[in-house]
Amino acid sequence: MYSKKVIQHFQNPRNMGKMKNPDAMGEVGNPTCLLPDEKIFLDPEFTVIKNTGKKNLIFSHDASKNKIINKSSRDYNGKIIEIKNALGKISLTPEHLIYALKLPNHSKYFRTKHKQKLIPAWYHAKHLEQRDIVLYPILKKIKDIKYIKIDIPKKKFDFKSIDIPKKIQLNSELLRLFGYFLSEGNIQDKPCKTYISFSLNIKEKDIVKDIKKISKKLFGLDVKIKEVPKNKVVIVFLYNARLARFFKQLFGNGAEYKKIPNFIMTLPLDKQKSLIEGLWKGDGCINLNRIGPRAGYVTISYHLAQQIKLLLIRQKIVLSMYEEKEKKVNGVNHKKAYRIHVGHRDSLKILCKILGIKYSSKGSYKSITSWFDNDFLYTPITKIERKDYKGKVYNLEVEDKHSFLSEAFALHNCGDIMRLYLKIKDDKIIDISFETMGCVAAISTSSMITEMAKGKTLAQALKISYNDVANELGKLPPVKVHCADLAVKALQKAIKNYGSSKTKTH
Amino acid sequence: MNKRRFVYLDNAATTPVDTAVFKKMQPYFFEQYGNPSTIYNLGIKAKQAIENARNQIANFLKCSSNEIYFTGSASESDNWIIYGLLSNKKKKIHIITSVIEHKAILEPCKNLEEEGIAEITYLPINESGLIEINSLEKAIKKNTLLVSIMYANSEIGTVQPIEEMGALIKRINSKRKEKIIFHTDAVQAVNYLNCDVQNLGVDSLSLSGHKIYGPKGIGALYIRSGISINPLIHGGGQEKGMRSGTENVPGIVGLGEAVKKVQSSKSKVQKIKVLRNKLITGILKDIPDSQFNGSLEKRLPNNAHISFKGAEGESIVIELSQKDIFVSTGSACASKSLSPSHVLTSLGLSHEESHCSVRFTLGRQTKDEDIKYVLKVLPGIIKRLRKISGR
Repeated sequence: MYSKKVIQHFQNPRNMGKMKNPDAMGEVGNPTCLLPDEKIFLDPEFTVIKNTGKKNLIFSHDASKNKIINKSSRDYNGKIIEIKNALGKISLTPEHLIYALKLPNHSKYFRTKHKQKLIPAWYHAKHLEQRDIVLYPILKKIKDIKYIKIDIPKKKFDFKSIDIPKKIQLNSELLRLFGYFLSEGNIQDKPCKTYISFSLNIKEKDIVKDIKKISKKLFGLDVKIKEVPKNKVVIVFLYNARLARFFKQLFGNGAEYKKIPNFIMTLPLDKQKSLIEGLWKGDGCINLNRIGPRAGYVTISYHLAQQIKLLLIRQKIVLSMYEEKEKKVNGVNHKKAYRIHVGHRDSLKILCKILGIKYSSKGSYKSITSWFDNDFLYTPITKIERKDYKGKVYNLEVEDKHSFLSEAFALHNCGDIMRLYLKIKDDKIIDISFETMGCVAAISTSSMITEMAKGKTLAQALKISYNDVANELGKLPPVKVHCADLAVKALQKAIKNYGSSKTKTH
Repeated sequence: MNKRRFVYLDNAATTPVDTAVFKKMQPYFFEQYGNPSTIYNLGIKAKQAIENARNQIANFLKCSSNEIYFTGSASESDNWIIYGLLSNKKKKIHIITSVIEHKAILEPCKNLEEEGIAEITYLPINESGLIEINSLEKAIKKNTLLVSIMYANSEIGTVQPIEEMGALIKRINSKRKEKIIFHTDAVQAVNYLNCDVQNLGVDSLSLSGHKIYGPKGIGALYIRSGISINPLIHGGGQEKGMRSGTENVPGIVGLGEAVKKVQSSKSKVQKIKVLRNKLITGILKDIPDSQFNGSLEKRLPNNAHISFKGAEGESIVIELSQKDIFVSTGSACASKSLSPSHVLTSLGLSHEESHCSVRFTLGRQTKDEDIKYVLKVLPGIIKRLRKISGR
């Protein structure tokens, strides 16, 4: 069927592989996309896809960090699919690939051990159904930090603040305090009135005591405590401007924008447990007595909710996220809130251990539809909706792993099948390489076109026709001639891309 | 000189002729070459050989030998049942078949549809590759004349619930004047599944020689007695006037022997299944991002159908072929029409997944070392192709 030369190029392709820092790249294939406001996990936080940029680092399906090489958008008019699971909700085009397990169609499957044997793969959104399992990577990177610097200079006219250490140990006590702050803390940053306050329920005496103890021990600061029995509140004040500014720098300003600093997200699991303890004792709740015992956490900060999700997944705690719309209760405005629930038995046990509570419950159930292995959290799709959509859609191209992480699951980037990389000097192609996912003919025509284009000027290279490529290979079967055409198109696209990038820079 | 060793894992495409079968055929080429229609001894011997083969097949299908007709291929058998039933009818008829039938069923159906002679319902399959029995029940209409469902699929090897369908049609027929005829294409099934036509409740069944270690160019059609069907090929009136043309005596003898041999080779089925499972688990274990397609339980024991992400099927086939391993793919690139296999797209495989799919079909001759060799060679091939594709 194939000529000897075709097979030769297939078995021994020339100029194969990705090129570092190419001057231009051309790709051909079928792009698939996400809606503009879908959030994806850029390092360090979730960002809407339309605001991502080249060179940003992104998390891929295997929890590795990779660079965005390209962002593309196009106009779309047609069906989109909205897929929801316990971790979030994403709308995308039906052809987009999702990292998932497809379950055989019988109801008892979850109860068998076979589910552990299913092999995850990339499935088109349109082929997934409710109950199918999507995978969420555990971000396992660990980087311990022993000390942190408080590099906030004392203000010129600050005579009140006592000196606090320039460097403090990042230990479990500090992390617990951070947790309290993220949940209950507040910063007042006005001239001559810069302090940290914690608003606690009047019953939370233990926390008051703990904050007092930690503050004294780590910063040498005495706290001021003010009880407001009318509101059932007790407020703990830490009067120190430098510390307050330091906390603001670390955790952001205002409850809606609170977030956990990056270096904490990669601390060892044990230290993070202390943070979770502080967080949960602050804004969390745990009720082991109800039927279906449950723990919950509420915050109005989107970023904080997402980060807690990632932290809990690291601890192998199965959770579900809920969004609560803005509402009015008894005349009080409640902002949009994010709620995290933990209800599965094994997960509750882990959480109880972190909180130092004895786990005892009769009515809990073991999770069979969600589970962990060493690398992933497996959770079922809870809802799929098909909708009509007209507007822009976006896609990314990610280096190396070709995938990126959304709120709810991992997505594959575009489905291109042939890529040509060029190095150009004085309008001459001095180096060229290819990557092709395809048949014998696609691979050998890719290989051949790199050989043909190398050393040619851009004008000469543009003249290469698919017939030239086919002839050069001896002969291609008629049905395979389009492969040569694909290679030619990829080359022309690369040269065109080079032209437009040049006009931009000059 | 040593014969070059190769690993043949495309037994769903065709099988080698069993040596015992070939030995039985041989005399009919050289010694007993008489025309069965003649009345002298040499011809009578040939005629007897044909009847012997007919008995062997009837014995296998648990039917009467006069319900068996020899044809040139299973494709002919399939065509015959469709066109042969048709010519009796004046009104527009309705045929029910499935989206994953062999082309020998689909193409005639399409043709009838285009000509406006018949209305066709194509039953869908679920993601396990199986037809839901209630979809069949729902599809049946007043003018339904024929239901044709493949027993086992050639590509993904899934086995359809023919027995249940047979029972359903029987039940429906008991209340109808115009009986529905139930046909099954059992070409892939004969080797491994029970083909007792009474048990299955089918009215007709087609089978082929070259898929069951018999010769190529011979097929058969079972038609339940009482069902009237017109011949497609007219001429010398062979096969009781139903299929003219001088009988392919060695082929018929070979088919009979091959069928007989299937009955006595049941013990080998388990061995094939063990090897097949070894192949599947080995591939899924050693090659990341590989995916097994279709139901594992409701499947022929010799079939493994796997997609390798980032490596294209035709490339894999050609690479394996360079290592003397012969398999097949449903990739669009390997088909004449450049569209992916209709079976795989019906199964719900994406364009890319069928693009990356490879079918391994084992046979009686498959040895443990063959599987070991494949498992040794394949990971490297996939790795190389993924390197080229950059995935």
